[in-house]
Amino acid sequence: MEEGRNAPATWSRAVANLLWIQAVCCGGETASLLNSDHPHFEAALRALDVAVLGHAYLHEQAKGKMAEVLDACAAGTLPVNLLAVEGATYRTAPQPAPWATGKPLSDWVRAIARLADYTVAVGTCASFGGVMACARNPMGATGLQFHRSEKGGLLGVDYRSRSGLPVVNVPGCPAHPDWMIGTLWALRGDRLTEADLDRFNRPRAFYGKLAHHACPRNEYYEFKASATAYSQQGCLFENLGCKGTLCESDCNERLWLARTGSCTRGGFPCLSCTSPVFPDGFVPFFQTAKISDIPTSLPLDVPKAWYVGISGLSKLACPERLRRNAVSPKPVWPDKEERTRSGH
Amino acid sequence: MVTKTIVFSPFSRLEGDLQIQVEVEDGRIAASRASGTLYRGFEPMLRGREPLDAIVFTCRVCGQCGLIHSAASAAAIRTLLGAEMPPNACIASNVMLAIEAVLSHLTHFYLSFAPDFAEPPYDDEAAARFLPPTGASCSRMLREREEILGVLGLFAGKWPNSLAIQPGGTTRPVNACEIRRAQGLLGEFTDFIRQQLLRCELDAWLALRSAADLDRWLGEGAHAASDMGFFITRALRLGLDGMGRWPARFISSGGWPGPTGQTLMKPGVWNGGPGDFDPARIAEHVKHSWFEPYDGGLHPHEGESEADPERTDAYSWAKAPRYEGQPAETGPLARLVNDRDPLIADLLGRHGPSVYVRELARLHETIRLLSQIGIWLGQVDPEEPFWRDTPHAESGSGVGLVEAPRGTLGHWIRVEGGKIRNYQIITPTGWNLSPRDSEDQPGPLEAALVGTPVPDPDRPVTVSHVVKSFDPCLFCTVH
Repeated sequence: MEEGRNAPATWSRAVANLLWIQAVCCGGETASLLNSDHPHFEAALRALDVAVLGHAYLHEQAKGKMAEVLDACAAGTLPVNLLAVEGATYRTAPQPAPWATGKPLSDWVRAIARLADYTVAVGTCASFGGVMACARNPMGATGLQFHRSEKGGLLGVDYRSRSGLPVVNVPGCPAHPDWMIGTLWALRGDRLTEADLDRFNRPRAFYGKLAHHACPRNEYYEFKASATAYSQQGCLFENLGCKGTLCESDCNERLWLARTGSCTRGGFPCLSCTSPVFPDGFVPFFQTAKISDIPTSLPLDVPKAWYVGISGLSKLACPERLRRNAVSPKPVWPDKEERTRSGH
Repeated sequence: MVTKTIVFSPFSRLEGDLQIQVEVEDGRIAASRASGTLYRGFEPMLRGREPLDAIVFTCRVCGQCGLIHSAASAAAIRTLLGAEMPPNACIASNVMLAIEAVLSHLTHFYLSFAPDFAEPPYDDEAAARFLPPTGASCSRMLREREEILGVLGLFAGKWPNSLAIQPGGTTRPVNACEIRRAQGLLGEFTDFIRQQLLRCELDAWLALRSAADLDRWLGEGAHAASDMGFFITRALRLGLDGMGRWPARFISSGGWPGPTGQTLMKPGVWNGGPGDFDPARIAEHVKHSWFEPYDGGLHPHEGESEADPERTDAYSWAKAPRYEGQPAETGPLARLVNDRDPLIADLLGRHGPSVYVRELARLHETIRLLSQIGIWLGQVDPEEPFWRDTPHAESGSGVGLVEAPRGTLGHWIRVEGGKIRNYQIITPTGWNLSPRDSEDQPGPLEAALVGTPVPDPDRPVTVSHVVKSFDPCLFCTVH
């Protein structure tokens, strides 16, 4: 999948149906979706050329009452081109029975997923269970086709939607609006294949990089010049629990909130919320586990032996400029003579 | 007399899963039950964890108001540690939280409340304006969000689920250049409010001090054609000033505390007259909730949240919080009444705690907060710190009481041996949409629905107006 590629001529002009089900969730994906800019949310819907069904805010009421629509979708009389599920689902009782139907939520999702052209898990809870499935998880909350890193989930290892694809996972807590809209847009045009998905069935276009990439603190990271408290400029990895080097996302390249920020730009650690083991795989969040000063969680994209060797060296080689700034909330400028001496 | 029981579920355009059951007698609601139908178990989930990790989990209670949950959690830990934030951090937190409230209020109005005016049997004029996503006003709101999201991004980095507010302060210092950028973005967003919601300057609106002032404003210039003017005219024509009333008690913790601890609005309990707000008088009941039963009410420091879904005498996953044993309403109207806001106080005198006044208070607060964000931005001093180191504590308890978009939010934490022993949350919608308590007293919404006309059970738009005037967030409620 490439973002921005023009829609092929074969793109059906008939309006397709996007059925969006809010399952066991916090509404965070919806809130994030409304933050979409370029395209703004309404323009994005126009580009998708879909009727939105089922969603608490966005259901097109002209299409009928929600309970009737759900019934028609499950019966196959109303085609579901895109099924998007926000939130985890419960495998065990008690089941919430939404829409006054008396039918458990998980049964609705199973029935409609069988008939949908594409099924998309929106957010980490729908993808892997996420926060809703953490700790002792008394209700058996799980992701659509994964439980944590294990394949299975509500729909099972062998599930394929009618198009032949497994559930396409768009994790994130919340997911970035571009990830959601971009994935739906690619599926709407039949332009996403299994080769475009990674080992957790996430589109590589969005999850192929690390949150660490393009982090403005990267120079501090390279020289192991670390912040010791919040509001300082240094790297958040060594002392404050940042998981940016483990987190598969493009947050620091794509940026959030009208492209003004990200977690690390906001001064707090990345918690790797796109990972299947978020959150319990990363607690306690704000500490970095170490063995004799070396963090035990090493970056995903660097050979480990080299990393350990280079870290020690780069810490020794750290320029004074970075050493000072790492622990300062605002820039510490070199005086003019110092700058000349150091060859700037 | 014919009694008919009707169950409304789902409510369209609402945060979370709400089921309303009403008894209709002679075309009016005689009794009602509000049920939160989803359980997620945040409170038990936190037991045994690092105290600071509570900030990460609790901001995920609600996608729309997670920042205020994180602020309540950070405040609870801050009181436990006996720590303080530097002045800049208080101001920066207020900027972020006020933006979250403005976004929440506008999302509510444009995507939840106002679209009901486009329902049959109403007319098409409202549809052209308010039917999402293509109605002119709501589509413009979705476009203009970008500017105020930009301001939020400069302080919070990411949202929903920012961790920028911590016990010691805020994690991102902003510099002078960023403050200037934030002021510019805020100005652009304010243009939208000016042009679309008000058709007048913010100051002209904020100068209105009585119901008579508002009548005059409505007759002047193009005000009646603004979204606000349309709302007022329509609400009064439909009799929304006579719907949704109950013998209201209003609670507010004030909200948006400044560096000296003084809140932006006066805290209080309004029960026909002013009174002090004392969180020690809060207790939660579970007689009608799917939790292991206990007698009477428990203060949240002693609170329990063991799920018991088999109970047949319960009907909601929400508990019933009570203030001095009485149900209480919270939210923008409660804040403004306790603050003695002249316009809202006068409107409450004329129209009572109705759908109309509740909704107007929410829009009025939006405008007050927008104006205040500009003032706060001017008070940030980029030369001063945003962070102060906090002491460590192995045990103790703390409470964080804040004003969320929808009303008073409390987090209560108890720590033993460095780990969370108990964590309790009472949300604004927990107050407003509470089920019956140990004395079988209905919650505020349950009481406010009584008397509502239901001319057509297939199109329960009147019920929807009353429910939505409380801006319920069921995600928060059934944490």
